[in-house]
Amino acid sequence: MSWLFAPVPKARLALFRTIVYLFAAADLVIFTPWVRGHAHASAESYQPLLVARLLHLPRPTALIVWVVFWTLLVTALAAATGRYPRLLGWTVFGLYFAWMLVAMSYGKVDHDRYAYLMALAVLPTCGPARYGDRTPSERAGWAFRMVQLGVVATYFLASWAKLRYGGPEWMTGSVLARAILRRGTDLADLIAPIPGLLIAAQIGIMAFELFSPMVFVVPEKWRLRMVGFFYSFHLVTIATITISFAPHLVAMLSFLPLERAYDWLRRRFKRSTPSEPAAEPALTG
Amino acid sequence: MDTLSRTARTTRVVITAVVCALLLGGTLWGSDDDFPFGPFRMYAGVNPPNEPAPDPRIEGVTADGTVILLDEKRTGLRRAEVEASQDAYTADPSLLREVLEAYEKRNPQAAPLVEVRYVNRMHEIHSGRPTGKWTDNVLADWRVAR
Repeated sequence: MSWLFAPVPKARLALFRTIVYLFAAADLVIFTPWVRGHAHASAESYQPLLVARLLHLPRPTALIVWVVFWTLLVTALAAATGRYPRLLGWTVFGLYFAWMLVAMSYGKVDHDRYAYLMALAVLPTCGPARYGDRTPSERAGWAFRMVQLGVVATYFLASWAKLRYGGPEWMTGSVLARAILRRGTDLADLIAPIPGLLIAAQIGIMAFELFSPMVFVVPEKWRLRMVGFFYSFHLVTIATITISFAPHLVAMLSFLPLERAYDWLRRRFKRSTPSEPAAEPALTG
Repeated sequence: MDTLSRTARTTRVVITAVVCALLLGGTLWGSDDDFPFGPFRMYAGVNPPNEPAPDPRIEGVTADGTVILLDEKRTGLRRAEVEASQDAYTADPSLLREVLEAYEKRNPQAAPLVEVRYVNRMHEIHSGRPTGKWTDNVLADWRVAR
C-alpha cells in the first residue's frame, strides 16, 4: 500500500502544477482551438455525453462557451502561480471538464486526455508547495501515482480496446495504412510503401501497450528510459500521422524528477549571471 | 515529511479503487458516451488488410467553377464530426448548409459558393499497404439555395 503513497518532493509538485495549469491555458488557445467553434454549432448536432445528461447540463450556447473559455483562461493562469491551490485547482478542474464536455458532445470523443484530467482532479488535494522545497509529501505522492496510473492505463487499456473492437487480427490489418492515407505527412507517405513495415509497427504498438505497466516495476534508470521511449513513440506519431496527444504528454511529466531539471536550470542561470557585467566592456569596446 | 492521516489514506484508497473499477468497466463494456471512463478505442477498429480506406472531404464550388476545400481550417468543423454526419448528408444534402454557414461565418469576404458537395475518396489498400490508386464518389451534392 505504501507504493500508492510513495512520497514526492514538494518542489516536483510545484513545478508539475505550474506546467499543468499553463497547459490548460495553452490548450484553450493553441492546441484545441476548434472547441470554440462549437459556440456556433447547430442544436441538432449536439449529442450530450452521459455525464452531461446525468448532471442535466444545458446545451452549450455561444454565451456559455465564451464564459467558460474566458473564466477558464483566467483561473488557469492564476492557478499556475501556485496560489490558493485548492480553490483555484477545483475551479480549473470543473471548468476544464465542462470545456471537454463542450468539445466531445458533437459526435467525436478524443482519448488523449484521461491522465491529464486525472492530474487536474488530484492536484487540488496536494496543498501548497514551493519550487525549492524538497520536503517529501505523501499527499503529492498519491496524486502523482494517480496521474502515472492514468498514463499507463491509456496505453494498457488501449491494447484491450484494440482486442475488443479489432481482435488479434488488428495487428495484421490496415489500420496504420488507413491513418496515413487520411492524415499522413510526407514522411509517412515515404515509409508507408515499405513492405511489412506498417504491419511490424502494428505488432510493435500492441506489444508496447501491453507491456507498458512494466514501467512501475523496473529500476529508476530503466523507468526513465521507458518514459523516454513513450515520448519517442509520440514523436513518431506526430511526425507521421500528425496526432499529438499533447495533454497526455504533459501528464507523463509526472514520471520525471522535474525538481532536478529545475535545479540544473537555476545553477546554469546563476553561473551566467555574474559573468554578464564582465562581458559588457568587451561588447561595447 | 508531509504525511497523511489514516482517514485520509483510506479515503484515497477507496477513490483509487472506484476510479480503477470505472475505467476497467468502461474499457470492457463501455462506449465513448461514458467519457472520461470510456474505452481507449483510438485506432482500435477492424480494418482487414485489403479493405479500401475512405478519405472523405467537403468541397464548395464558386460561380466561376473554382473548387474550395471546406476543411477544418476554413470551417472550424472537425473532420471526425463531419464524417459522423455522413449518412445524414447523404440522406438530405441540404444539411450541408451548416458547413456552408460555418465557412461563410469564418470567411465573410470569400466568393459566394453555388454548390457544396460531400466527396468520399476510396484509397486502395493491399496487404496493409496503400497502392496509390483511388476513386472519388460524390455522396451528397447540394445546389446552394439563397
